[in-house]
Amino acid sequence: MRTKALIVDDVEMNRALLCEIMKDNFDTLEAADGEEALSVLDRLQQEIAVVLLDIIMPKMDGFEVLEKMKALGYLDKIPVLFITGDTSEEAELRGFELGISDLIRKPFKPTQAKKRVNNIVERFTYKNFLEDKVDEQTHALQEQNQILIEQKRRLEEGNVKIIDVLGTVVEYRNLESGEHIKRVKGFTEILAKYVMQNYPEYGLTEEKVAVIASASALHDIGKIAIPDNILLKPGKLTEEEFEYMKTHTTRGYEILSNIEGIWDDEYRKVGCEICRYHHERYNGKGYPDHLIGEEIPISAQIVSVADVYDALVSKRVYKSAFEKEQAFQMILDGKCGVFSPKLMECFKSAKEEFEGFATSISVPHIL
Amino acid sequence: MFDLKNVDRKVLDYETGLGRFMGKETLFVKFLMKFVDDKSFQSLKEQIENGECEEAFKAAHTLKGVAANLAFDELAKVAGDITEALRAQKLEEAIKQLPVLEEAYKKVQELLVKIKGEE
Repeated sequence: MRTKALIVDDVEMNRALLCEIMKDNFDTLEAADGEEALSVLDRLQQEIAVVLLDIIMPKMDGFEVLEKMKALGYLDKIPVLFITGDTSEEAELRGFELGISDLIRKPFKPTQAKKRVNNIVERFTYKNFLEDKVDEQTHALQEQNQILIEQKRRLEEGNVKIIDVLGTVVEYRNLESGEHIKRVKGFTEILAKYVMQNYPEYGLTEEKVAVIASASALHDIGKIAIPDNILLKPGKLTEEEFEYMKTHTTRGYEILSNIEGIWDDEYRKVGCEICRYHHERYNGKGYPDHLIGEEIPISAQIVSVADVYDALVSKRVYKSAFEKEQAFQMILDGKCGVFSPKLMECFKSAKEEFEGFATSISVPHIL
Repeated sequence: MFDLKNVDRKVLDYETGLGRFMGKETLFVKFLMKFVDDKSFQSLKEQIENGECEEAFKAAHTLKGVAANLAFDELAKVAGDITEALRAQKLEEAIKQLPVLEEAYKKVQELLVKIKGEE
């Protein structure tokens, strides 16, 4: 609680006079010069409601005291009134520029001076009260926000961990190399960013792009349910075997649909889309549901291009690697199935980034 | 008790002065008496004679303030004139006014001696 008035004047009589006037409303403190005033402020700044400051004093004058108070941030909380016999306008102006709340000229009428000081102190008390309230609430909000950010971070960590675990399962069964998963993820991210920038109609955001890229790691999770004699068969699959192989899309979808409650629905939904539809093609000639055009979720469309591109530039058990340029042309020419024209525009724009990424992660041409 | 109300108003404007001390006569008289030993007049005279314009200005300013508070109207007025002369660093003008100031100061001191004698 601020209950004290600090009276700063080198003339004892002036101090005594002001003390007499202020003593009904405040505990009065006196200082005979600027230095003394600052040392009192240093000790009791929390308790001082107002400073009545003379201008012309030995050692340190009123302006200097004011400047120091301003630099120390006291002026926001404590009003300062100049009490002065100096009648020059310059002094008055300089005082107001430095942040005094009012100026009372000597000689003054006690009742008026008392009222003016009281008014200013009341105004400051109210202002300080409001500012403290705002500070308090801001602080509370910041704390809550911090908690929310932390919770969000943990949830996201959880989502990423689940995907990592599932991805590791695929890797461990040696179905896909860890590199393939990483590369598909990289290509997916690049392509998704182009789609976000060029085709707002898909409603992609930075967050959604991150979810799609992350969930792309699960595109072949369904292969864990395919028997080894089909999955790891070195030669060409029979028609029957190939039909069975195709079910890795629906099997992956089923696996992810059943993992509930431990990850974000958003991740689960996108993961399911990618698993089930990453072999669909824009002209309806894909599988398993023969979706046509924009019936295929954009997440799956993006991952299918990334998956095909990586398959082309990598050496597989059953084929050798294509040159990047050749792979690029094959996709554009529809040799690996038809993709959306919009996606192909993005793919063209992203060509350099695709090739840059492929080189940086060094696609193993010879396994 | 000395009748303060009937003194020359130019020397001491009793009503106004008492008002500044919120009508408390004892307090007013106590501070009137303190002026007997006040050094600002002597200091002002010395600084002017030494040609110390800035120090003289401070002393004149203090004297003006004290005199005005105690309602020594004439003294406050002359001290005010000298203060402004010194603020403008016109030492010559201050020197010219010094005898007028001394006269006003003497009248105040004479009055204070009377008041003290009556107490």
